[in-house]
Amino acid sequence: MLVSWTVYVCSRTDFPDVGRPKSETPSQHKVTDVAPKLPRGKACILITEEAAGNVYRAQDEVSLLRASLEGETEAWGEIISRYKDAVFGLCLGFLRNRADAEDIAHDAFIRAYVNLRRYNLERRFSTWLFTIAANLCRNRLRYRRNHPVAELPAQIRGGVDPATIVAQDDRHAEVRRALAQLPYGYRAPLVLRFYNDLPYREIADILSIPEGTVKTRIHRGKAMLKQRMEEERDAS
Amino acid sequence: MKQHEIDGILRDMLRQDVAEAMPGLVGFEEKIVLELGERRPRLRISDWLRQLLAPTRGGRIGQIGVVGATAAACLIIGFFAASQLGLHTGTPGIRLTPSRTMDGRQEVLFVLPALDASDVSIVGNFNAWEPTSLSDEDHDGIWTASIPLPPGRYEYAFVIDGRWWGQDPLADEYVQSYGEYSSVRYVGGGDGA
Repeated sequence: MLVSWTVYVCSRTDFPDVGRPKSETPSQHKVTDVAPKLPRGKACILITEEAAGNVYRAQDEVSLLRASLEGETEAWGEIISRYKDAVFGLCLGFLRNRADAEDIAHDAFIRAYVNLRRYNLERRFSTWLFTIAANLCRNRLRYRRNHPVAELPAQIRGGVDPATIVAQDDRHAEVRRALAQLPYGYRAPLVLRFYNDLPYREIADILSIPEGTVKTRIHRGKAMLKQRMEEERDAS
Repeated sequence: MKQHEIDGILRDMLRQDVAEAMPGLVGFEEKIVLELGERRPRLRISDWLRQLLAPTRGGRIGQIGVVGATAAACLIIGFFAASQLGLHTGTPGIRLTPSRTMDGRQEVLFVLPALDASDVSIVGNFNAWEPTSLSDEDHDGIWTASIPLPPGRYEYAFVIDGRWWGQDPLADEYVQSYGEYSSVRYVGGGDGA
């Protein structure tokens, strides 16, 4: 016989003592036994809030997105955990400023959640999310053109002295400075390719440019980086 | 430096930057979840309508109220638009279903747009061709009269400031007699008066 189970997430206070689960793992109960607030007589799985985190972690992406659409912000929290590094890294690479990158990554997750119904579940979620983040980064860069802040590589490293950074890793510092000087149109594909490890087709989708242009810009971008690094070395 | 070396340096540098910044992102998820609070993803109009019509845990009464209020708002807007349209096109924009009185008669509404008229009346075989006045209380140029009539076929015409106007746009048919047009309406399926 096919039995469908409904998952209810409860707080500890939903459980009278008699029905309180002993473990943190999801446990099966009859609703009539343990949680009078919930619909009676339905087959369901009751899980505590603590255990809910584990359940979300075990869920696949589509389930999490469906749960998010139903307004389960904890499911969206799990989505954020999974994509935080990628989205923040993209923003940091594009903007070269840590505070701006944090702002935009935050805004990207808020905006994606609010507009989640526009996302077509058949498409790759990461592409859609990265597109939102990339567009927000581009807007922020336009804003920064009129309201400039220091885009110094030192700022990325927080309070660390630039001289210390150079001493720690000359080559990283060189490429960091060179990347910050590249135009956005070259920097963005490089970041998506070398930080996010995306194929050319996906980069083209995110930046709304032809795939051939992506290849060209990555090739030329690397050549420009190399040239700037060599010029810096020659000058020093 | 060779091109492929750039790839490696670039990849390492970007990852190192993110790794160093990550401690600053502690609580990033919680902050966003907290900010979202009770918000839900924004509904599209189609989803909104579907949710409105679907059964909800909140019970039917509130839902019926919402649907009823929406329908009432649509009706009001519709009537307003129709009456506005009627004014501009010169045709009456409303046609009400006759309501039945206790003695089997039906309240039949006669409507005529006559913007500049000062007196409009109706004559027909139901009033022995003696004028019954139409009224325009709100002075919007739409003249109306509601006349209780038993089922039957009625010939009639409007008289606008003394001038014969035999072609009611809401008539079922027209007849011509003595060189003038008259309008005909069938009330309650009747075929003679």
